[in-house]
Amino acid sequence: MIPLSFYLGLSALLFSIGLFGIMYHKSGIRLIMCIELMLNSANLNLVAFSSYTDTLDGQVFALFSIALAAAEAAIGFAIFMAIYKMHEKINLDELNLLRW
Amino acid sequence: MALENLAFLIPVLPALAFVITFFFGKKMPSGGAIIPILSIAASFIISLLITLGLLANPEEVVSQSIPWFAMLNLGVLIDPLAAVMLTMVSFVSLLIHIYAVGYMAHDPAKPRYFAETSLFTAAMLALILSDNIVQLFVSWELVGLCSYLLIGFWFEKPSAAAAAKKAFLTTRVGDVMFLTGIIVLTTDLLKLAGGIPEGGYLLRFNEIFSYIPQLAALEANLFGLKVSHLTIITLLFFGGAVGKSGQFPLHVWLPDAMEGPTTVSALIHAATMVTAGVYLVARTFPMFLAAPDSLLVVAYVGGFTALFAATMGIVMNDIKRVLAFSTISQLGYMMLGLGVGAAIGMEAVGISLFHLVNHAFFKALLFLCAGSVIHAVGTHDMRELGGVAKVMPITAITMTAAALALAGIGIPGTSIGTSGFFSKDAIIESAYLFGEHSGNWLPYGFSIAAALLTSVYIFRLIFMTFTGKPRSNYGGHESPASMTVPLAILAVFALVFGGLTQTGFMQFLEETFSNNFVNLDLGRLAVLGGYELVQSASAEPTFILWLPILVALIGFGISFVLYYLKAVDLGVLASEKNPIYKLLYRRYYQHEIFTEFFSIGIVYGVVAFFAQLVDVLIDSIVESISIVTVAAGEALKRLQTGVVQTYAAVVVAGVSLLIILIKLITEVL
Repeated sequence: MIPLSFYLGLSALLFSIGLFGIMYHKSGIRLIMCIELMLNSANLNLVAFSSYTDTLDGQVFALFSIALAAAEAAIGFAIFMAIYKMHEKINLDELNLLRW
Repeated sequence: MALENLAFLIPVLPALAFVITFFFGKKMPSGGAIIPILSIAASFIISLLITLGLLANPEEVVSQSIPWFAMLNLGVLIDPLAAVMLTMVSFVSLLIHIYAVGYMAHDPAKPRYFAETSLFTAAMLALILSDNIVQLFVSWELVGLCSYLLIGFWFEKPSAAAAAKKAFLTTRVGDVMFLTGIIVLTTDLLKLAGGIPEGGYLLRFNEIFSYIPQLAALEANLFGLKVSHLTIITLLFFGGAVGKSGQFPLHVWLPDAMEGPTTVSALIHAATMVTAGVYLVARTFPMFLAAPDSLLVVAYVGGFTALFAATMGIVMNDIKRVLAFSTISQLGYMMLGLGVGAAIGMEAVGISLFHLVNHAFFKALLFLCAGSVIHAVGTHDMRELGGVAKVMPITAITMTAAALALAGIGIPGTSIGTSGFFSKDAIIESAYLFGEHSGNWLPYGFSIAAALLTSVYIFRLIFMTFTGKPRSNYGGHESPASMTVPLAILAVFALVFGGLTQTGFMQFLEETFSNNFVNLDLGRLAVLGGYELVQSASAEPTFILWLPILVALIGFGISFVLYYLKAVDLGVLASEKNPIYKLLYRRYYQHEIFTEFFSIGIVYGVVAFFAQLVDVLIDSIVESISIVTVAAGEALKRLQTGVVQTYAAVVVAGVSLLIILIKLITEVL
C-alpha cells in the first residue's frame, strides 16, 4: 500500500503547479484550468484521507467538490465568453476595470 | 356577583369597537357607527347596573386587581365616585355618538371619526375605574392623545392642525407635572414601606392613602421654606389637573379646541377629557385634605379661572367660543368646589362632582344645539345669525333649557330649579362658608362675579342666535331626528336631574371615602393639613342664599335689554375703541403673552440657542471623523489594482505568512 505521505506530496505538487499557473499565465482559459488543478489536488487529499481512515466521508465530500468545480467552470467560461465577444481576446492584465 | 366580573368590560368594549370600526368601518353602513354605539350602550348598561347596586348597598364596592410588573397592578375600582362618573360619561358619550350619526353624515372620514371617539370614550372610562395611579396616568395620556387626534380631525385645515398641536403641547405641561408627582410619590412610598411590599400593590389608591400621615410628616426644604412632601405631590397632581381641565394659566388650548367637529367639542367639554382633571383631584382628595395649603391653591385657582374665563365669554362672537369659555369658567367652579373642602371636608367632593355631572348634561346639550345650528345654517358667527328660533324650534327650546341650567335659575330653599342651580349655588354657598370660616373671601367674590357674567354671556348667545331678524341669508332647516332626540333627552336631564337627585347624590358620594378606605379618619386628615373644618352647619343668611339667583337674574336683565330690546347702542362700547372691550376681545392678549412672547420668544429662543450650540459641537466632531476617513480611503485605494493576479499573489503571501507565524508560535511556546 502506498503511504499517505505520497498522496499528500502529489497533492501539494499539483496545488503548487496550479498556483503558479494562476499567478503566471495571462490567459483566462488557463486560469480556469489551473483552478481545476488546485481543486483536484484538494479532492485527492480528501480521498486519500478517506481511504487512510477507512471512512467514506472524504469520498462523499470529493463528489461534492467535483460538482462544485463543474459549476464554477461553467460560470467562469460563460464570463470569459462574454469578455471575448467584447475584446476579441481574454487577457487578464487588461481586465482591470474593478479598481478605484 | 356576576355583574362585578363584567366591570372590566366597561372600557374594553369601546376599545374593541375602536379596532373594529377603524379597520372595517369603511365596509359598514354610515361608517360603522353602530359598533361604537352598541358597545358604549353596553358599557352604559353595565355602569348603570353597578351604580344602582351601589346605591342600594354602598358597601359593595367593586375592587379587583391583578399584578402587573413588580409593584404595579391593573385593577378595577368602582366606588360611588367612580360609579357616578362612569354612568355619566358613558351616557353622555352614547347620546353624542347617536347625534354624530346625523351630524357627520356628509363627512367622508366617518370610520376614523367613530373609531377615535370610541377610543376616546374607552380611555376616559379606563381612567375613571383605575384603582391605581399608574393605570390612571396611562389612560390620562391616552385621553390626551385622542383629544389631539380629534381636535385635528380635519387636519387638512392648517388652523385645526395648529389647534391640535396647541392642545397637545399645553396639556403636556400639566402631564409632566403629574408624572413628576407620581415619581415623587413612588420614591417616597418605597422609602416609607422599605421596598416593595409582599403581596401588596404600592400604588393602589387605598395603599397610598394609608401612608398619608407619614407622607405629610416628610418635609423638604424648598427655597428656604419647609414644605411637606404631601403638599409637593398634591400640587404637582393639581398641575396635571390644571392642564387637563383648562384652568388658568393652562386654559389656552380649550378655546382653540373648537377646530374639531362640534360633536368632538361636546365630548371634550362635557363627558371626557376636561372632567379628568377634576376627577383626579376628587379621587386623590384625602391627600389634598391632608396637605397644608394645597386646597387653598385649588380654591384660588378655581375661583379665579371661573371669573377670568367668564369675562372673555361675554365678548366672543363665535357661538362655539362662547361655550368654550363657559366650560373653562364652569370647570373653575368645580375646582373651587373641591378647594372649599378646606372648610367643609369630604362634602366638597360631592358638591363638585354634582356640578360636574350637571354641567356634563347641559354643556353637552349646549354644544349639540350649537352643532345643530351650525349644521343647518352653516356659520358659527353670531353676528350673522339671528331669528334661528323660527326655523329650528326644537333646537331653540332645548338650548334655552340648557342656558337656564347654566345660569342656575331656581328658587332657593325649594327643590324647584334647573340642574345648574342646585350644584352651582351649593358651590357658591360653600365658598361663602369658606370665606366666613377662614377669612379667604376672594374665591367667594370671584364666584359671585362669575355667576353674573355667566348669565350675561349665555343669554347674549341665546338672544343673538335665536331672536330678532336674520342678519344674513341662510337657508336653515330643523335637524334630523337622530340629532333632535338626543337634544330632547339631554334637555330633560339638564332641567330636572339636579332637582331629583339633589340630596341623594351628595350622600351617595360621601360614601366614597368612608366605606372603601376604612383606615381614613377625616378629622385627622384635616388636622394634618392644618384646616379647621366647620363642625356644625350654620345656616347662611337668606341674603346669601338669594344672591346667586339675584345676580343671575340681573345678568339676564342686562342681556335682555342689550341684545333683545337693543335699548342701548353698543356701537362704541363694543368696538376696538373701548379699551376694556379690546382687552377682553383680544383675550387679555394671552396669545401675544403666552404663545408669542413666552413660548416662541423665550422658550423656543433658548432651546434654539442650545440646539445651535449642540449642532456646532457635534457637527465638528462628526465632520473631523469623516475627514480622516476620506483621507485614509484616498491613500489606501491604490491597493486595488484590479489585476486578478496581484490579488492572488497577496492572498498566497498572506497565507504563507500565517503558516510561518503559527509554526513559529507553536515551536517557541
